Amino acid sequence: MFPTPIEKSSPGAQIAYKTLLPISLLIWLAPLLAVALFSIKPDSDFTTGNYWGLPSSFEGFANYGLVFTSDMPRYMLNSILITVPTVIGCIVLSSMTGFALGIYKFKANIWVFFMFVAGNFVPFQILMVPVRDLTLDMGLYNTIPGLVLFHIAFQTGFCTLFMRNFIRALPYELVEAARVEGISEWRIFWYVVMPLMKPALAAMAVLIFTFIWNDYFWAVVLTQGVESQPVTAGITSFNAQFRAAYHLMSAGSIVAALPPVAMFFLMQKHFIAGLTLGAVK
Amino acid sequence: MHKFLKASTAALAMAVAAGAANADGHALSGDLVIFSDMSNPAPRAVMEGMVERFGELHPDLNIELTVIDREAYKTQIRNFLTANTPDVANWYAANRMRPFVDAGLFEDISDVWADPQLDGLASTKGAMTLDGKQWGVPYTYYQWGVYYRKDIYEELGLKEPTSFEEEIANCQAILDSGRKCYTIGTKFLWTAGGWFDYINMRTNGYDFHSALLAGEKKWDSDEVRATFANWRTLIDMGAFVDNHTSYSWQESLPFIVSGEAAAILKGNFAVPPLREAGLDDSKLDFYQFPAITDGIALAEDAPTDTFHIPSGASNKEAAKEFLKFVVSAENQTLINAGDALGQLPVNANSSVDDDKFLKEGFAMLSSNSPGGVAQFFDRDAPAEMAKVGMEGLQEFMVRPDELDNILARLDKAAERIYK
Repeated sequence: MFPTPIEKSSPGAQIAYKTLLPISLLIWLAPLLAVALFSIKPDSDFTTGNYWGLPSSFEGFANYGLVFTSDMPRYMLNSILITVPTVIGCIVLSSMTGFALGIYKFKANIWVFFMFVAGNFVPFQILMVPVRDLTLDMGLYNTIPGLVLFHIAFQTGFCTLFMRNFIRALPYELVEAARVEGISEWRIFWYVVMPLMKPALAAMAVLIFTFIWNDYFWAVVLTQGVESQPVTAGITSFNAQFRAAYHLMSAGSIVAALPPVAMFFLMQKHFIAGLTLGAVK
Repeated sequence: MHKFLKASTAALAMAVAAGAANADGHALSGDLVIFSDMSNPAPRAVMEGMVERFGELHPDLNIELTVIDREAYKTQIRNFLTANTPDVANWYAANRMRPFVDAGLFEDISDVWADPQLDGLASTKGAMTLDGKQWGVPYTYYQWGVYYRKDIYEELGLKEPTSFEEEIANCQAILDSGRKCYTIGTKFLWTAGGWFDYINMRTNGYDFHSALLAGEKKWDSDEVRATFANWRTLIDMGAFVDNHTSYSWQESLPFIVSGEAAAILKGNFAVPPLREAGLDDSKLDFYQFPAITDGIALAEDAPTDTFHIPSGASNKEAAKEFLKFVVSAENQTLINAGDALGQLPVNANSSVDDDKFLKEGFAMLSSNSPGGVAQFFDRDAPAEMAKVGMEGLQEFMVRPDELDNILARLDKAAERIYK
């Protein structure tokens, strides 16, 4: 059997494994631990070079208090207002395009599908200037809807690929059986295919949620103020002119990272399901 | 809707301006949109305080303030000067405003400077002037100099140096006691620019320095080589902390706090974090960078931060009033106080806060800087040249033997950049 279970390997290998694993885990997590540690330290610990030691005084309440009395709640709200509509929009659009491309056989099918996929291969950085000009001309610059529309447009390519392949894997007989019964196409989509797509939809929602929540690039390009910027871009507002406020940024980062982490743990089943969908036939 | 509102407020503002043009102290109205890079925490409070006080003077004026993170602002300004243009925006003096002036994005405000109220600003007028016109007003500046550990100097029986020989003798004594003379973190390059500014201004004088950064002098020249030779004396002694390329300036502070290094060449902004880390006035002191070449007038780095009116602004009348308000002696005293910005007022009629370092800096800049006041390496040179230049400086600090290559590279870059 491959891989060999660790309990069947030689004692030496077992000991090495058991000591190296926690060590590599610690190294792996070191940046995260540093952020967590710094979020409860006073600012002066950075200047005195106390990076890894115990906090010279416990400032957790003060730091997190500052985070919540600053603009952070507003940035968090912006993030939610950007992420949730994007997830909904992507799911609605891609389940329909996925259905059309997965169920119907028409000549241009494969080419339309390729266009969706090809969109994913465009490096998004080269779109920076045209997209910025476009949102400006449409009056959507520095607005939440502007960011949402762009994200939906860009994420739908990936989502369509995902949904189309999933629908392709469904037994086509189900659709044929429904057609024999004389059910309209619209109702086939709604009552036959949609219920079967639920795991895929959940998995995709979680993926898109984390993608959009963590987006920094477009947030900086398309928005510029506290009234529309999401939390990823807003976190640097703690920085002063000369000094980076590492203790506040750490606390802010932790708060900002909570929603996607919570999302992952709450939806873990779907997340894993989404990654392995179609892996075994 | 948004456009319509903007257009109508602009029309309203113009109507008000036309109607009340000759009335003294007429009321301002409409919207005044201010974009500021004075992000957290103290500068932000200062900015908000200024807006509040200006608003009280002009109750009919609706002031909208947007504070943007200082670093993000540097990229966003290119964006918002052409779209969603505010009426007032922060920026920096001297060559840093040249791209926007050349692109016609900043308004010529020479008429504001003609106001006798601005007579107290003579010291910074040069920094605000390009092509014979003024393009903004300063609101604060701060001194550069050597901040040193007073207790270490006392322990070793050293005095503040006034010449380069004394500086080197001090440094040798510090090195012999097992410490480093200077801490520096060159990861983000600009800190090395401070050292070059000072050694070059002390070796060759302010006029040569500013001509060099303006592209009028060659890098590969005897003067610049003399500067680097002086710098090399310190490098060869091992005066700087090791591995300085891996630290930011904040990460270089622990060395001076712990006493592993005795001094730092830095702007006055280094004082608050050092004080927070436990260096009180008995342990931390300041001296002016010592003279190197005899007979060269001392000149200082004093970066100046500014307010400008974008040429696309819709309420320029209110914007100009705001600029005058910012530089008034009373406001200058208030916003540069130790509990506010903690920097130096630009108006000579203002009073400076009761703080050891601010007082020393104000005295130094107003009476002991006869050579002139430079902005800083990356503000005096065009942005592109500054980047190439500071990379060269950092490389020199690590590999001084590469000097020939570095100078040749800088001259080549200069040829392309200044044209």
